[in-house]
Amino acid sequence: MSNAGKKRNSQLSEIWRRYKKNKAAMVGLVILVIILFLAVFADLIVPYSKCIDQIGAERLQGPSLKHFFGTDEYGRDLFARVIHGSRYSLFIGVATSLMALVIGAVLGASAGYFGGVVDTVICRIIDVFMCVPPILLSLAVVAALGTSMRNLIIAITVSCIPGNVRLIRSLVLTVAEQDYVEAARSYGTSHARIIFRYVLPNAMGPIIVNTTMAISDMILSAAGLSFIGMGIQPPSPEWGALLSSAQQYMFTSPYLLLFPGMFIMLSSLSFNLVGDGLTDALDPKLKD
Amino acid sequence: MVLKIENLSVSYETDIEVVHAVNDISFSIEKGETLGLVGETGAGKTTTALSIMGLLPERTARVRSGRIEFQENDLLALSEREMQHIRGDKISMIFQDPMTALNPVLTVGEQIAEALILHNTDGYTQKEIEARVEETLELVGIPKERKKDYPYQFSGGMRQRVVIAIALVCNPDLLIADEPTTALDVTIQAQILSMICDLQRKYGTSVIMITHDLGVVAETCDKVGIIYAGEMVEYGTLYDIFEGDEHHPYTVGLFGSIPNLKENARRLHPIEGLMPDPTNLPEGCSFSPRCKRCMEICMKKKPAVYENNGHQIRCHLYDAGMQKAVSENRKEAGEDGR
Amino acid sequence: MEDKMLEIRHLKKYFQTPAGKLHAVDDVSFQIEQGKTLGVVGESGCGKSTLGRTILCLNEPTEGKILFHGKDLVTAGKKERKRLRPKMQMIFQDPYSSLNGRMTVRQLIAEPLIVNKVCKNKKELEQRVSEAMETVGLAERLSMAYPHELDGGRRQRIGIARALVLEPEFIVCDEPVSALDVSIQAQILNLLMDLQEERKLTYLFITHDLSVVKHISDEIMVMYLGKCVERAPADEIFENPLHPYTKALLAAIPIPSVESCHKRRELLQGEVTSPVNPKPGCRFAARCPFAKESCRSGEILLREVSAGHFVACNQI
Repeated sequence: MSNAGKKRNSQLSEIWRRYKKNKAAMVGLVILVIILFLAVFADLIVPYSKCIDQIGAERLQGPSLKHFFGTDEYGRDLFARVIHGSRYSLFIGVATSLMALVIGAVLGASAGYFGGVVDTVICRIIDVFMCVPPILLSLAVVAALGTSMRNLIIAITVSCIPGNVRLIRSLVLTVAEQDYVEAARSYGTSHARIIFRYVLPNAMGPIIVNTTMAISDMILSAAGLSFIGMGIQPPSPEWGALLSSAQQYMFTSPYLLLFPGMFIMLSSLSFNLVGDGLTDALDPKLKD
Repeated sequence: MVLKIENLSVSYETDIEVVHAVNDISFSIEKGETLGLVGETGAGKTTTALSIMGLLPERTARVRSGRIEFQENDLLALSEREMQHIRGDKISMIFQDPMTALNPVLTVGEQIAEALILHNTDGYTQKEIEARVEETLELVGIPKERKKDYPYQFSGGMRQRVVIAIALVCNPDLLIADEPTTALDVTIQAQILSMICDLQRKYGTSVIMITHDLGVVAETCDKVGIIYAGEMVEYGTLYDIFEGDEHHPYTVGLFGSIPNLKENARRLHPIEGLMPDPTNLPEGCSFSPRCKRCMEICMKKKPAVYENNGHQIRCHLYDAGMQKAVSENRKEAGEDGR
Repeated sequence: MEDKMLEIRHLKKYFQTPAGKLHAVDDVSFQIEQGKTLGVVGESGCGKSTLGRTILCLNEPTEGKILFHGKDLVTAGKKERKRLRPKMQMIFQDPYSSLNGRMTVRQLIAEPLIVNKVCKNKKELEQRVSEAMETVGLAERLSMAYPHELDGGRRQRIGIARALVLEPEFIVCDEPVSALDVSIQAQILNLLMDLQEERKLTYLFITHDLSVVKHISDEIMVMYLGKCVERAPADEIFENPLHPYTKALLAAIPIPSVESCHKRRELLQGEVTSPVNPKPGCRFAARCPFAKESCRSGEILLREVSAGHFVACNQI
């Protein structure tokens, strides 16, 4: 066949070709890139000092050329606060999903691959966690550990693990039945190597999609917890915390709610759209 | 004449490539006759069958040229509605995999009745339909009491019988069997093949038997077409193909590839190389890159059909003035484990 | 005198299923000499694949002995098994699902060497992989290709290279050609036979295709529902089949010649029954045209009726 000798990135370019066809996913990707850009270069766009500088004369001013998003009740520049806030939200979203992914992969893969007692024990524990709504689980963890950025991350990660374990276990169950896994056993491959070199890479597609979608959920949970005062505490410019403190000015200065709310929505939406696009792009069966 | 196909060419087109699945195939079937279409994976056998059924995937497939004449109708000119009347009633098809061809949530009786209800032009009553279902079940060797069972309650061979019952319930004039026994064990294959032959003799149905197994062809067919890369390279009666003196080199290679039960040849004589890429067929004869008797002209010009008493061969070896080469080909055919 | 490379004694493998005990392999014994091929034939569900997998200890046998050069693998420790593992390899049926699609051809073939830590350095590894690719006729330019870019025949060559790279003495071939087209099938069969001659390999060749098995085997074993019903040298089985099941199996093969056209023949009625909780007596009795009352009780033993020809049937 003529394409047999092609370079190894052909699979990636194939995925990209299919991804490009999905218009909504491309919109999501553009929004995501812009938000990531804002988060990474926040210091260059507007210095952090503007987030904390309280200018008494400029309290609760509407959007203007000087303050793009207006100012809050202490005269702090809302634009600077929202831009720097994106760092918190994105960091929490990505960090929690990745941690939940790693823990979920280890537990889910061992449950699915080894089966038997290991499977039963892990599944029963997961069942118990599944009985509690995720938000309550997070609240319980924060209540037990106290409010801080670290504890917030732990709380959200814990609430996300059960779903991941379930998903990865079922994926591993189907992959582990394939002949190539048995072939690997026939030449003496160790269990760990089989899991990491054979089983997980072949289950990767749905896992990547799920993780992308999970980031969006995590951003929402983080904002939610901060909103009810169980997450990041003011004066840190986290989006949920911004919303929370803006509540009382809801009718007089609605822009205080509008801008952070819009960013929460856009970032969450963009991860969802990208996840949707990846679902189709990573499925080789939809090849045309 | 039940079915006549003339110069049929079908391709699958997507943004990136054009797959030439069927290229200029012609054949015809008389009433009560069995035609075997033999070829390897990707040779275009199934595409030919799907074009007759009008079941080509609409989005990608395109019939580039040709005519499919069935009982004086040009099937390619019919609308989807008209086609639905013919499909399942006058022409029906048996699929390869009996495990997936049945709907798991309907009883086999309901599935067999389905075709009758859809094509109920004679105004059968419910009772008559039931009776016909039972009759068909007995015909394929399943006790009629089992019509209330679901597909999962049947073994592979029994399911294939159900699939055949569905195909036969409307008394079709043409039955297309696409690798009907490939998924079955040999002893079951023997049962199914002899059943198809018996039913055909009883009802005078014409059958197109699509297979890769020359043994199956020898047992069931009257005429044989050998297909390679979407082209009919050789076409003739069973006797022409199995015992005749003149052959396409691909046919010779195909026979050399099968282990012979009667002789004790230690080595097989496979055809070297692989099937050509259907998106990029070689210029000239498609078989030329693998052909042991390839000549200069084979790589440049498509061979014309050579015909001797109805036995057609598409090969330059049979061009006028190539008689010497032909005799060598015969010699080789004799050596290659026939 | 003769070198019994592999000897199987009373091997049993039962699976626990909700419906009862599934006798996948039930009391099978045989031996293979070095450089020979034993063909195992039977219909789907007769336990031939389980037999191959159990011999390689991919399934723990329920009972019995697997003697490899006189060493029992069943009772051998982990270390001993690890030492013997590279000597026994397997070629799988489906060249589509038996290769990890995320690895390149080179990685796939190198994997057994890496896992068993055979090579001292990278250069030796590359060398061994290139040699294996050349042996099975894979062009060097394909080394970076992924399996999904290749056709069935080439993929099966990768599977063979992967089995060969550890330089085994014994290979279980589980239907290695049944997923391939006839012309490709012949290429692969020729390759397997050439390799056997060159390297004095011993094969256990599992297939449902009788014409293939006759071509490649020295001895043939016919299995029915977990039991060996007949075992004899290849020519003997075809010329003088004794067990009614073997006869039926041979009669069922469609023969590619005009004489078989529309031929009527003795057909075996019924279908394979389930090997779950089998009834005592001959397992073929339910379909056997010659079955008598005595066939349905007691143990039917494999007897040697002539030199090297074993049959398990009361009527002979």
